[in-house]
Amino acid sequence: MNVNYLNPFIEAAAEVLQVEVGASITRGPIALHRSPYTARDVTVTLSLIGRVEGMVLYGLSTDTALQLVSTMMGEPIDELDELAQSGIAELGNVMTGRASIKLAQAGYDCDISTPTIILGCGTRISTLSLQRLALPLQTQYGSIEIHLALREGASRPTPAAAIQTSAG
Amino acid sequence: MKIEFLNPFIVSAAEVLHKEVGTQVTRGQAALKKGLILSNDVTVLISLVGQVQGTVMFHMAFDTAKGLVSAILGQPFEQFDDLAQSGIAELANVIAGLSSTKLSSAGYASIISVPMLITGKGFHISTLNIDRISIPLITDAGEIGLDIALQENPDAPGEFSSYTSRAAELTA
Repeated sequence: MNVNYLNPFIEAAAEVLQVEVGASITRGPIALHRSPYTARDVTVTLSLIGRVEGMVLYGLSTDTALQLVSTMMGEPIDELDELAQSGIAELGNVMTGRASIKLAQAGYDCDISTPTIILGCGTRISTLSLQRLALPLQTQYGSIEIHLALREGASRPTPAAAIQTSAG
Repeated sequence: MKIEFLNPFIVSAAEVLHKEVGTQVTRGQAALKKGLILSNDVTVLISLVGQVQGTVMFHMAFDTAKGLVSAILGQPFEQFDDLAQSGIAELANVIAGLSSTKLSSAGYASIISVPMLITGKGFHISTLNIDRISIPLITDAGEIGLDIALQENPDAPGEFSSYTSRAAELTA
C-alpha cells in the first residue's frame, strides 16, 4: 500500500480529535496485515472512491466510544444508543472527510461514502485482496485503531459511458 | 427512501444470479426498516457514492454462500475459504455494478466502492439515519437478504471522470 495514504489519516485524526474532544494523540506502532480485521466493540467503516479507493475502519471499545460521545455532546452518555452511534459515526465521517481533502491536495482526489457502524466484538471484516495497514492511536479516552485498506483507483467508465455501452 | 432505488437492485440480482449461478430468483416481501440489522453468517457490504448514496448489503448463511460459489466456479466448496469469500464478494460487486448502471439510466449517477466482507452471525450493523428496505431473494442455493439503504444526493456531480482536474484545482 502506498505510504502516502497514511499521513493524511494520522493528521486528520489528530486535528479532529483535538478540536472535537480536546484529545492529544500518541501514535502506536504501524502494522501491515493480510488477514481479516477482527472487530472491536464498535467499528465505523467508510469507503473511499476515486483516485484512491478502498476502506477505512475505525475500531474502538464501547467505553472509549461513550467517553468520546459524552465529551462531544457535553453531557454524560452511558449507553451506546442511536444518538451515541450517530455521534461516533459522525466523528469517523469528519476524520475521513478531512483526510480525503488532504489526499486530494496530495494528488489523490476521492469521495467518501456515508458511514456504517458495526457493533459486536469479534466479527471478522475482510477487505479481500486489499492489504490493511493498522495504526493504533492512543488518547486519554482510550485507543482508537485506524485501519486503512486502500489502493490506487482503477480507471472506471463514467456513468454516462456505461449507459451508452448498455444502450449499444 | 425512494422506491425507485429498489427495482434496479432486484432486477440486477435476478439477472446476475440467473447468468452466473443458473438459479431463478423469487422475491419475498419487501419491508421498510429502521434501526440495527442483525447480521447473518456472511454479509457483503458495498457503498454507493453520487447522486444516490448509501450502502447496500447482501446477507446469507454459509451454506448459501458456498452453494452460490460452487455453482459459479463449477467446483464444490466445503469451506468458506479465501477463494469462496472472493467469489461471493465479486458476485455482490457485479450485482451492485449493474444496479448502479441502471440507476444512472434512471437519472441517478453513482459509483460503487470495493466490497467489504463481514463474517460472523449475530452482530449489529447500522446505516444510521438512512432508512433501508429489506427484501429476501430466494434462490436455489438458499435465501439472500438484500438490504438497501440509499438516499438522494442532488448536490453530487452527474459524472465522475473529473478526479484529476479537481485535484489540480485543490492544489492550485
